Amino acid sequence: MKKLSIISLFALILLSLSACKSANDSIPLILYNEVDPFILEFKKHIFHYASGKVDIDSFDSQNSQLLQNEIIENMLEENRSVLIINPVDRLGAYTIIDKVKEHNIPIVFINREPLEVDMYSWDKVYYIGAPAENSAMIQSEMIHSLFKDPLDLSDYDKNNDNIIQLVLLKGEQGHQDAEIRSEVVIEELEHLGYRIEILSIEVCDWQESIAYLKMNDLMKNLEDPIELVISNNDAMALGAIRAMEEQGLFSDDNKDGVIDRETEPWIPVVGIDGIETAKLSIDSGRLYGTVINDSEEMSRALIELVEALQNGEDLSNLSYELENGKYIWIDYRKYEDQEEAN
Amino acid sequence: MAKKQYTLSIRQSIFYPSILIVLISILTVSMILFFNFRRTTSEIVEDSSKEINKQIILNFENYINSVIDTANYIQEKTVEYGLRANQVGLDDVYAQAAEVQPDIESIVLLDRSGHYLVRSTNKTVSEEDLTKKEWFIDALSDDSIYHFSSPHPQDIFLISSSEVITVTKVVTYYYNEVEYQGILVIDINTSNIITLTETTNLGENGHIVIINDDDSLIYSNNTACVTDECQSLQISREIIFGGRSVDIEGTDFYANVNTLRNTRWRMATFINTDVLSTTSANTLWIMALITVVTFFITMTASSIISRRISSPISRLKDHMAKLEHGDFYKKIEIDGQQEVVSLTHSFNSMIEEIQGLMDRIITEQKSKRKTEFQALQNQINPHFLYNTLDSIVYLSENKMNDKVVEMVVALSKFFRISISRGQNIIFLKEEIEHARNYLLIQQIRYNNKFHFHFEVEDSVLNYKVVKLSLQPLIENAIVHGISTEYDEGLITIRAFQEGEDLIMEVEDDGFGMTSEQIQDVYERIQYSSEGKSVGLRNVYQRLKLYYGDKAKFLVDSELDERTTIRLVIPIEGAL
Repeated sequence: MKKLSIISLFALILLSLSACKSANDSIPLILYNEVDPFILEFKKHIFHYASGKVDIDSFDSQNSQLLQNEIIENMLEENRSVLIINPVDRLGAYTIIDKVKEHNIPIVFINREPLEVDMYSWDKVYYIGAPAENSAMIQSEMIHSLFKDPLDLSDYDKNNDNIIQLVLLKGEQGHQDAEIRSEVVIEELEHLGYRIEILSIEVCDWQESIAYLKMNDLMKNLEDPIELVISNNDAMALGAIRAMEEQGLFSDDNKDGVIDRETEPWIPVVGIDGIETAKLSIDSGRLYGTVINDSEEMSRALIELVEALQNGEDLSNLSYELENGKYIWIDYRKYEDQEEAN
Repeated sequence: MAKKQYTLSIRQSIFYPSILIVLISILTVSMILFFNFRRTTSEIVEDSSKEINKQIILNFENYINSVIDTANYIQEKTVEYGLRANQVGLDDVYAQAAEVQPDIESIVLLDRSGHYLVRSTNKTVSEEDLTKKEWFIDALSDDSIYHFSSPHPQDIFLISSSEVITVTKVVTYYYNEVEYQGILVIDINTSNIITLTETTNLGENGHIVIINDDDSLIYSNNTACVTDECQSLQISREIIFGGRSVDIEGTDFYANVNTLRNTRWRMATFINTDVLSTTSANTLWIMALITVVTFFITMTASSIISRRISSPISRLKDHMAKLEHGDFYKKIEIDGQQEVVSLTHSFNSMIEEIQGLMDRIITEQKSKRKTEFQALQNQINPHFLYNTLDSIVYLSENKMNDKVVEMVVALSKFFRISISRGQNIIFLKEEIEHARNYLLIQQIRYNNKFHFHFEVEDSVLNYKVVKLSLQPLIENAIVHGISTEYDEGLITIRAFQEGEDLIMEVEDDGFGMTSEQIQDVYERIQYSSEGKSVGLRNVYQRLKLYYGDKAKFLVDSELDERTTIRLVIPIEGAL
């Protein structure tokens, strides 16, 4: 009896030591960088839609693929049921797929789309995002509504040469969205019949501060007047506006808190993403327009997909179309200033 | 179920548990320390390996980024110059960019059919169809990204034969304001990559492996990995990304695999961690040594301590064993712990106590036997009986029938009380009655030579007293007090209560005694065992035996006047 109790005591100790590792039910959301305001907003929406349905655990990769790889390794050890990954480096996503495939855990990529060839290397890989060219098309539509007629440009053609002199603020080099947005917006404008002159293409890595610095330089060095600034995202657009404000543009002369486009100096700037600060900037007459990268709708779709994956449900019953069994596309939406919307 | 019971001696029960406790604790502590140490060191090694891997990757990424930056710059310039329709200056821009980064062999812009548009150098170009080159096909496979080729001999120009990595990307260019797609080709000398790998210390035989997305080898500075198949390459493929400890041909390495940003490559670093297993083994040896040494120290110490504790106790035990065999009279002196010493003292005083008790028991037994004997002798004093019977015969011959009757009745009552159903304690009234009968008999015998007188309080009649305590005193009074021929003596018997005491007195009016004689009487009744005053001593000793020290036997006398013997008995003993 005594021996038995001693043995069971030892067994208990061993058991409690070994029981430290246990499966975690919550689903990891591994973001590329929480400094990115769009990502922060996306995260907020994801948590909003997840509440009461799935448990989400969020991780910040701090813009380091190495750190992200470490996080993923830990998640694999914890045997999570689904991984939501916003890759730091879309080119490296194939390694994530290869690695996770060994553990047979479905992956949902968001925000940054892995190469098509990688997406099709395993059937349990999904992507939820917006079609990049769609945002550029909407952007070009907004520009079209500003200049009205390709053959007879509106007053915004300051030098009256019937050519739009523009500056393009490009996101990260090699980032698919940056490339496509840049390419498509120009193509579309040309397709609509506009003659354009690209004064400069500035790669600003999606960042407000870099856009601010580069725009500052451009304002000082460019001889031609800038008639349009096209930005791949809102953050860079806001950075450019900040630089232009310091150069005397967007001055609120009558101090009414709103830039009056008829009387006060301004240059149209269009962004993409529709983050809160961008919307405020539009409302105060600074940013001309933005395209909402509908992270709210994406979050709704994401949670629906994740829930279905977790419960092993049939994905064909989703309320979103699952293109080729892999992609859920959430279209961009236009966001204009309130006056015009009214 | 009969179970064999092992009873341990004190020494064993100190020795074994202390050895066991120390052994278990030392083993547990060393195990914990060892595993903790090993975990910590391997964590440190793992962390530092990861850090080194991070550093190398960062170096490579920085390098790749610098190439991409150059490519971006070229791209921007190409667009800019194209937009301004200023094609002429572009060759210079390309040449300058190539010069700024010495490891860039050449920068070339090709159109989709592989013809030169812009180039950084004037070297003679080869006549080969560049669209057939692997890097050209790669570039077209995905126009959104930069493509990095495997190291290969430079194949654009005729003269140079250096080994290069070709970086390609589909780019936009403008010609006469019309947008075209071209291919930007940058050749980088591999020597820089080799330099990058050499700057970091990976330990002996530490090395790196760079593999492509199709798991083919791009580069390794390990000579064993020049061919396509080597263990490091296989490990890198297996890991995919992340880190773990590996063993390559008997050497411990920590392998780390991570992707290189902006490329499809991943890089594995193999860092020598043999030092970990060596320290680990050393620590294990030290732990084992400590365990063994501590074990022996504990064994010795515990053996000494247990002996010191147990030896006084076992001496005491041996001594007690003698006591068991009846040797009560030997004391013992033991040096040792406080407890044992005080135990010894207690033992010694116990022995003393036992000795005292036994002596007293022996004395009391002897005294009791004698007293009983005396009492018996007194009760049936044959001389008294003969004399009384002689007196009765004499009285009958003289026809003194009344006296005969009186005497026979008194004798009969006397014996009845003397026997008194064998009880030793009787009521005082019975003792008085007995005395009276005795006096009556003696009065007749002594022919009325004395008178007697009783002064007894009624209240004390029902107290109980030791039987035959008055008769010897009366006998003494008759013998010593009434031997004169001239006077008739008077014997007074008193019984009364005085405070908490019951007093019985026998007084005669004879010669009395000097104080020396009184002292003599005291001594005889207390110490002497034979000779005179047997009756008095008998009373005295029975008094002391029965009532203890509270009972008193007092002799008081005035010369030529009287002698009084007083017995003082505590009332509580007479109830």
